[in-house]
Amino acid sequence: MTVFKGYLKILKKNLGMLLIYLVIFFAIAIALQASARKEHLGTFEKTRINVAVADRDQSELSRGLIRYLSTIHNVSEISSEPSVMQEELFYRNTSYIVQIPENFYQTCIEEEEPLSVTKVPGSYTSFYVDQQISTWINSIRTYTAAGFSLKEAMDASMELPASEVTMYKGTENNLETPPYIYYFRYVPYLFLAVLSYSMGYVLLAFQKEDILKRMRASAVSLRRQNMEGLLAMFMLGAVLWLISVAGVCVLFGKEFLTSPLIGYYVLNTALMLGIALSLSYLVGIFVKNSNMLNGISNLLSLGMCFLCGTFVPMSIMNKSVLKIAQFLPVYWYESINETLAQYKTLPVPVAEEIWKSMGIEAMFIAAFVFMILAISKYKQQS
Amino acid sequence: MIHIENLVKRYGDLVALNHLSLDIKEGEIFGLLGPNGSGKTTAINCLLSLLKYDKGDIEIFGQKMTPDNYEVKQQIGIVLQNVAVFDELTVSENIDYFCGLYIHDKNRRKELVEEAIRFVGLEDYRKTRPQKLSGGLLRRLNIACGIAHKPRLIILDEPTVAVDPQSRNKILEGIQELNRQGSTIIYTSHYMEEVEQICTRIAIMDHGRVIASGTTEELKKMIKTGETITVEALLLTEKQLQDIRNLPHVFDVHYEDQILTLRCTGAQHNLIRILNYLQSQNLTFGRVFSELPTLNDVFLEITGKQLRD
Repeated sequence: MTVFKGYLKILKKNLGMLLIYLVIFFAIAIALQASARKEHLGTFEKTRINVAVADRDQSELSRGLIRYLSTIHNVSEISSEPSVMQEELFYRNTSYIVQIPENFYQTCIEEEEPLSVTKVPGSYTSFYVDQQISTWINSIRTYTAAGFSLKEAMDASMELPASEVTMYKGTENNLETPPYIYYFRYVPYLFLAVLSYSMGYVLLAFQKEDILKRMRASAVSLRRQNMEGLLAMFMLGAVLWLISVAGVCVLFGKEFLTSPLIGYYVLNTALMLGIALSLSYLVGIFVKNSNMLNGISNLLSLGMCFLCGTFVPMSIMNKSVLKIAQFLPVYWYESINETLAQYKTLPVPVAEEIWKSMGIEAMFIAAFVFMILAISKYKQQS
Repeated sequence: MIHIENLVKRYGDLVALNHLSLDIKEGEIFGLLGPNGSGKTTAINCLLSLLKYDKGDIEIFGQKMTPDNYEVKQQIGIVLQNVAVFDELTVSENIDYFCGLYIHDKNRRKELVEEAIRFVGLEDYRKTRPQKLSGGLLRRLNIACGIAHKPRLIILDEPTVAVDPQSRNKILEGIQELNRQGSTIIYTSHYMEEVEQICTRIAIMDHGRVIASGTTEELKKMIKTGETITVEALLLTEKQLQDIRNLPHVFDVHYEDQILTLRCTGAQHNLIRILNYLQSQNLTFGRVFSELPTLNDVFLEITGKQLRD
């Protein structure tokens, strides 16, 4: 296994670069995971706004309204001087000012005059406060009209049921995006960058004309040399694949391991590895020097990932770009991921679509392998 | 040991090997001498089955040489014209790798690698990468990679190109030592001095064929030139030149830039005769050289051109 060990020895010299790529990948994956979780919480968090009350009535009823608002918002009392109120709003110390007039009960409950309020122009949260105050006043009016005392009406109004919001989903299976989808989205970049660079690096060393001559004149058959070289490349790929699968298990644990779609994710990643391996080998055959290797490696990994929705979600990409991207294998990998992200269990038609996409990935691998064999044969003959 | 018969190799219209025939015996240092493009490297590549040839037969150790005759390949070591080592591996790792293509036993290989390092004098550079070696040391590493497995036949294709004189001597001494240890050597070069110094038998190639072969002495005897005399003389007339041409044993006279060059057949007193004539004509002359024929003279006389043309 001299050739195999030779490949590994040269790969080992390149270990630093491989580690840098892995560290960058996992750092991005962890950062994206954190940011995705934060965004997820922020979307549904109940928020409290700053409400100021200028109470001129100082009655039991006005204090009741203040108590009620305090259960929902951050309430503070201010002077009813117009200049003070303007200043509070200008500096955004408060978003909403309620002016309770003298004779609050008579004016607003009996004569049904609206409360005077001042709010930040265009603030959507003010509409909620308008509704909350209106609901409370209507409730007091209804209870007192029914014969309840003012105190009983205020106590009952404190227990007004909160409005319920029902979220409607697009499809029955449509769920929140699983956080590990960001991890899988970036896997092609890791595979392509690491494999195109490291395989190019090794092939650059072994494809030198004089090294080839010396090896062909040796006592190890050409076939065995090729097999040992391929074995070393597969081993590199297998290690990379294991690291990426172990990474998702460590970072997302039970959430990923209990997903019924885990098999699809893992298989899709294995196919992506096959694509990266064969494409990197194909490109490595043409590399003439290390500068060229750097250029091609970056062009291949970054270019394909930008075009195929690795860095930018496909949903916001230009349609014509996506049409072009269909000619690239990473597109099919990413489209499978995007589909998997929308389902907890796969309906049969969707599963069929996914298998078709995986078939296209396999065909890309076969095409690349065929090209490698043809070019290698041509090179040998020439 | 090696029998090449009627070997023909064409690159399109260009005939690189034109019915080349050679026989090399065990224990020889066989020199393949010829100018650039004479077909030396093509012959070596065919010999190693690195190139397909159009016609002819090659036998090594009594077996027909084919690309998959690994029994024969196992006993051959090659040192190529260009340095063929991995820049990414150290001196020791490089020798170990190439030795590993022939020797699978790890302990035996370790001994052989150590021996090869000592043989080429790279003991202080075991952990050094090739980029940090000088041209001469790099050539030595190239040789170590080719001979570490102790082959029966070693083929060295111009191993001293672009090497300083000190390293060249070290390399040539090493080749002679390998021969003493039992290896048969095929040595190609366009440096006649090297070939003359180390080879026991020589074949001179031009236009893809052997134009002469034998020991150095045999080759020199093949030609008419026995002695070349060069005289720095002033202003010779055409009549005086004709007189010189008529001197006994002189068969070629060349006069250019006040330098007179005579080629004489092998005989005694040629130098005295020409000096006497110059004195009798009251001609002043400067430095005088008398040289015995070299391989370059052999090549010149056979082909009509200089070896390094």
